Amino acid sequence: MPETTAPTARTLRTGPGRLLVAVYGVFALAATARGGFQLATKFGEAPLAYALSLFAGVVYLVAAVGLARAGRISRLVALVSCSVEVVGVLVVGAASVLMPEVFPDDTVWSHFGGGYLFIPLVLPVVGLWWIMRVHRVDRD
Amino acid sequence: MVDWLTMTIQVASLAMAGWCLVSTFRDQPMVVPHLVGMGLLWLLVLGQVGATVVTVVGGDRPAETAMFVSYLATVALLPPACAVWGFMERSKWGPAVIAFACLILPVLFVRLEQLWNPVA
Repeated sequence: MPETTAPTARTLRTGPGRLLVAVYGVFALAATARGGFQLATKFGEAPLAYALSLFAGVVYLVAAVGLARAGRISRLVALVSCSVEVVGVLVVGAASVLMPEVFPDDTVWSHFGGGYLFIPLVLPVVGLWWIMRVHRVDRD
Repeated sequence: MVDWLTMTIQVASLAMAGWCLVSTFRDQPMVVPHLVGMGLLWLLVLGQVGATVVTVVGGDRPAETAMFVSYLATVALLPPACAVWGFMERSKWGPAVIAFACLILPVLFVRLEQLWNPVA
């Protein structure tokens, strides 16, 4: 695929970014719906785990929108939300392994995203790589 | 849910994913035949969703109805949403989007069947 110097406004959501937004969209839906339903129906069982799922879903949603929209602000939004995801999946992943009693029920980030083919672990790293790459191409 | 329709959708979806992956690796953008394929897949999905909604309205519903209905809505919307999103991209990443959607779809149907028949 020839690397065209498209204007800043378009680059983040074109090329591989197109696939990235689709994956983020599906994960936003999955995590938000999961967290929302669990909080609504069985809040008492594992409030922390369910709230975390909902939080992860919202972060995925923000990242998807940040990647899909044009402009500097959304690029920053995407950068911040992908960073939050990296920290989230590492901290929650480690906590779920070291202190399983804190998480009676799984979240998308438990066991470093193992319940979701480790996509939650890989996705934000790919996202950050893509944002950096587009940013460098833009600057040159 | 109509079992044979679920099976057909899963097989068709995986075939579609395979085709789109081939297009991606051959560096081809999404073309109209891809779109027709997604349209046919969507019709199958809508058939299953329609038949299931009729059953649910008729009173035969799974224990976790709200969760089940949200999965139904997702499978109904996923093919057209991804087809449009992929078709807007005029590079090999267009079929890549469809391939991803077509790999997710059979998994969603596995979850739907689990919710429909919790024992299985």
